[in-house]
Amino acid sequence: MVSLARKTLLYEWRRFLPAVLAVGFAGLLQLLQAALVLGIFGGAAVYITGSSADLWVGYPGTQSVDQGRAISPDVASLLYMNPEVERVEPFLWVDGDWRGGGTGGVSVFVSGIDPGPNGLMFAHALAPNLRARLREPDAVIVDRADLSKLGVGIGGSASINGHRVLVVGVASGLRALGGVNVVASLDTARRLDNDPSDAGRPTYLVARLHDPAQAAKVAQTLNGNHGFGPYRVWTAQRFARRTMLFWLFDTGAGAGVLFLAGIVFLVGAVITSQALAAAVVGSIREYATLNALGVGVRALRWVILEEALWVGALGLGGAALLGGVLIALARREDVPVVLNAPVTLACVILVLALALVSGLGSMRSLRRADPATLLR
Amino acid sequence: MNVSATPALEARDVHKSFRAGRIVSTVLDGLSLSVDAGELTLICGPSGCGKSTLLSILSGLQPADAGQVSALGQPLDGLDKRALERFRLLHTGFVFQGFNLFPALTAYEQVALPLGYLGLKRDTARERAEAALIEVGLQSRMHLRPAELSGGEKQRVAIARALAKEPALLFADEPTSSLDAANGQMVIDMLHRIARHHGTTVLCVSHDPRLIGHADRLLTMEDGRILEDRRTPPKVVAKPTGTSR
Repeated sequence: MVSLARKTLLYEWRRFLPAVLAVGFAGLLQLLQAALVLGIFGGAAVYITGSSADLWVGYPGTQSVDQGRAISPDVASLLYMNPEVERVEPFLWVDGDWRGGGTGGVSVFVSGIDPGPNGLMFAHALAPNLRARLREPDAVIVDRADLSKLGVGIGGSASINGHRVLVVGVASGLRALGGVNVVASLDTARRLDNDPSDAGRPTYLVARLHDPAQAAKVAQTLNGNHGFGPYRVWTAQRFARRTMLFWLFDTGAGAGVLFLAGIVFLVGAVITSQALAAAVVGSIREYATLNALGVGVRALRWVILEEALWVGALGLGGAALLGGVLIALARREDVPVVLNAPVTLACVILVLALALVSGLGSMRSLRRADPATLLR
Repeated sequence: MNVSATPALEARDVHKSFRAGRIVSTVLDGLSLSVDAGELTLICGPSGCGKSTLLSILSGLQPADAGQVSALGQPLDGLDKRALERFRLLHTGFVFQGFNLFPALTAYEQVALPLGYLGLKRDTARERAEAALIEVGLQSRMHLRPAELSGGEKQRVAIARALAKEPALLFADEPTSSLDAANGQMVIDMLHRIARHHGTTVLCVSHDPRLIGHADRLLTMEDGRILEDRRTPPKVVAKPTGTSR
């Protein structure tokens, strides 16, 4: 059977180009927005996702990793009592005020970690030789993208909370949300901590298990214990998710993102359906003739729906191509972008839904395909 | 009315009026008519006389306000929209003043497209489409798009599109109005030939005087009624006079 939709699309491509572009750019915007949101808000959980710990132990009710309060170091003993636990490590979070490099003061988050080669914290972000440099007193590592913000280079010095620190190296994948991440050894971090209530106590304890698959079960068991002061155990995955959702929704940013996604969808659908409707109206006499010859309105609607889906597929192809290039470019420039399969799939579905909705919207113009109007 | 055999098209006491705001204009006023198979019947009359409305009612494109209409012995009045589409798909062909060809499709594809909706097999559809295009003399132009065809050729494609369905009823509305003398002549000859060779009932509406000599039967309309019903001379069977009220 002659494919009217495909042939029309190919021959009258100029007429369909605005629809393809509208779908494509709507798709591209959704895709990049999703990648940026995942990248930026995922950055809030970089402490968790950049580390190899399976369990996180922190103050009960902590909603996001940056909201931690000191817990008793004795909880470590409790962790070690569980045979599934292989290694436990303290993690110290210190809010700092960076001075130096002519910056006039930058708010920083100091992460005090175990600099040993088997350390769990930032195991994915810091290579063993880089971690080893943190053993030097007052040594810190920052993300290379933050260097200019901090006004230092490698080997440069500044002060945090009035204590001198020395930048001994840079890493990537340490960028934080709402501040700058500075990584130091536990000893250095303790020296930088001016809050007397912390008294050297860890903000979190992180643990690795013999079998990571048991994380949820172990966390549940550990949460059933009492007697070491207030604490709560989360699996790393859960805590990362909790942190990201906190930033996404409790800060209002998530609502903004969803609102923008809705606007992009709406604008895309309006432009696409208008362009499709114009294409239909342009051939309205031909459609009316087909209807006079007995081709049902339902069959004609299918033609338009097929055109809409082709437009969607073409737009999607363009968006994927351009999106891929832009994401690669963003990664090269250290812009935080992350894409995962479920979100990509959601974008694809959204774009096809947009095309479908536009197709349905443009079908209304088929009402004008009344064959009686062809008779003069 | 004296009707001998079942006519291909029959209208009895058909009324049709249109409303524009508060003004109601009556287009067909109690019109009765029967049209026989295998003939080229021409309806002519001044514009606004209701001839196109009559064609659209007889072909099932729009319903009458009152009266009975039947085509091929089947009443059209009671049929819903979908049933009318089905009837048109199976039994009717249309040729309009504007050729109404899809710019994207070749002559062959224009003709083959409706055949796909008839549910014909690919090979059958191809044979029929090619045969129809050959019959209208376009065998060498089958793979050209409308932009590459002349006006006369486009109308021939439209005729082939109607013809390929092998309809019992062929309706033509001002088929020659956009064409020059030679092409107009060619088109009316074709319609005549289709009526003769295929036994198709061809009902043509036109105010083109060139057509009058080629019709088997000439109906003259004015003000929603048939004023004159005339057969052109030596035609075979004298058939009933469709009469206006």
